Amino acid sequence: MADTNSRQETGSSKLREWMAFLFVIAVVVPVLSVAVVGGYGFIVWMLQVFVLGPPGHGG
Amino acid sequence: MKIISTLWNTLKRPPVHISLGVIIIVSFIAGVIFWGGFNTAMEVTNTEKFCVSCHEMEDNVYQELQETVHWSNRSGVRAICSDCHVPHEWTAKIARKMQASKEVWGAIFGTINTPEKFEGKRLELAQHEWARFDANGSQECRNCHDYDSMDWELMSDKARRFMKPAAERDQSCLNCHKGIAHHLPEEMNKGGNPLLADLLNDATSVSANKDTPYYSAESVDLYRDAELTELVGHLTIATEVAVLETQGGSVKLEIPGWRKEKGFGRVFYEDFGQNITNAVLDKDAAQDESLVATRERKEDDLTGLPWAKVTAELWAKKGAYLKGRDALWDTASEIYHDGCSVCHSEPDPEHFDANTWPAMFSGMVGFTNMDGPTQSLVLKYLQKHSSDYVDDGQNVDDGQAAER
Ligand code: HEC
Ligand code: HEC
Ligand code: HEC
Ligand code: HEC
Repeated sequence: MADTNSRQETGSSKLREWMAFLFVIAVVVPVLSVAVVGGYGFIVWMLQVFVLGPPGHGG
Repeated sequence: MKIISTLWNTLKRPPVHISLGVIIIVSFIAGVIFWGGFNTAMEVTNTEKFCVSCHEMEDNVYQELQETVHWSNRSGVRAICSDCHVPHEWTAKIARKMQASKEVWGAIFGTINTPEKFEGKRLELAQHEWARFDANGSQECRNCHDYDSMDWELMSDKARRFMKPAAERDQSCLNCHKGIAHHLPEEMNKGGNPLLADLLNDATSVSANKDTPYYSAESVDLYRDAELTELVGHLTIATEVAVLETQGGSVKLEIPGWRKEKGFGRVFYEDFGQNITNAVLDKDAAQDESLVATRERKEDDLTGLPWAKVTAELWAKKGAYLKGRDALWDTASEIYHDGCSVCHSEPDPEHFDANTWPAMFSGMVGFTNMDGPTQSLVLKYLQKHSSDYVDDGQNVDDGQAAER
């Protein structure tokens, strides 16, 4: 995207834009989501092990 | 590095080639697909097929489940692994899924990959589950079962007697229903037989002298004759006897006891007024004065019943008697602790008196897997260490105190 004036550059920057978009949507966001949920679960698990004890009524 | 910086440079700017509409629509669709996939993954990992895809689960707990009511019943409702083991509440569920990473670790490194290793770990694993059920009041069971929907009239008498008070206290199901889906850990299954067998083993090597007291290491059949042909009754375990005579494989025993002077007097008790059974004779033998001699008579003020101190002289097999009762009491104490501390901490023996214990004990013993002989030993142990006997010097130092 450094130079949008050249035709050739335009083609490859379009490709690059699509690649980036799809990469983020198909890989980065899902991986992050799973990591966040998993991390949350892991933290809760560790809390259960060391602080809270096993899950009780409703939580 | 180059790729990442290019990517970052591309992402930093507003898009030039992709319209906002396309971005929104594609993102939305991707979100839907992701959400669906996430939930599908959660569901797949909740299926029984997934759970038993490890042979550790398939070979052990899965096979055991198939013998139980939750596998096939008249209502045709199946409980699968996740019904009982995975919380429904979202956070707890996610935490449980992450916890499974430990199980994956175990599967990779084979911590329980043989039946022996599994049995070795089972108590620990079961205790984790019990702690969990304890904390949530057996929530998973109650997703299907509900105290409020139970019709006491339809329940068996035994079930009603226990379940109704449990419902009033909103008690956790697993307080009483351990082992509902899988075999109990081996440690809890020892009904005491191997321990009793050890005692009996010791007893076979004890040679009987006259004049010293002996104690039966098992329930022994009693005969009128030295050839052991005419059976007249039996001696209960841990009963004091004296050996009068030895003839081949038989010994002539002198059995002291008290009995009620009412009816046939078939049951001998260890002490005046105490329902601690020593021996049971059949009707004819109990009335036969050549076998049973009366020494003393006394009336029980409490019940008004006349009691008599008696001794019987009868034949029995050799090699079933020990010199003291300590080994018997130690064994009994261990079995009592193991069997009766499963649901509540076991009451001290001296919590009840000797005549209260039999009813207490028989109401509870069905929850344990003690067999007949073990039951009578443990009951006698409890009675002899009950409030009627604690002040009696002989019982003070018998290991029971040291255990606490
Ligand atoms: C998926 C639902 C479900 C779950 C979860 C579940 N049960 Fe059951 N349970 C049943 C069904 C169905 C029956 C059989 C009813 C019938 O037809 O008699 C049953 C029967 C029983 C019985 C009767 C046994 C017998 O011999 O009659 C007991 C006790 C019991 N369950 C305890 C539990 C305990 C304890 C838990 C928790 C660990 C639990 N259940 C979890 C559905 C479930
Ligand atoms: C105080 C101990 C206790 C608690 C707590 C308890 N049960 Fe029971 N339950 C029993 C006993 C004892 C039986 C009878 C078992 C037998 O007949 O061998 C029984 C029987 C049952 C039966 C079979 C009924 C029948 O007619 O045979 C079901 C179903 C059952 N329990 C489910 C539950 C569930 C679900 C919970 C928790 C919500 C629970 N129990 C809590 C002691 C208890
Ligand atoms: C009806 C409820 C129920 C179902 C269904 C059930 N379990 Fe369990 N499970 C329990 C309970 C309760 C315990 C705690 C130990 C006990 O009381 O036996 C347990 C314990 C375990 C343990 C610890 C080891 C042990 O034996 O105590 C494992 C592993 C296990 N379950 C795996 C499974 C798997 C795999 C399945 C599916 C094939 C399954 N369970 C189905 C109730 C259930
Ligand atoms: C399966 C669980 C379980 C096992 C095993 C068990 N108990 Fe209990 N026990 C209970 C429950 C539940 C109660 C409360 C019952 C009630 O209130 O009716 C209880 C109550 C008692 C009480 C008090 C009764 C009273 O009226 O004060 C005594 C004593 C007792 N148990 C002794 C024993 C002995 C001895 C053993 C071993 C043979 C034993 N228990 C094994 C579940 C169990």
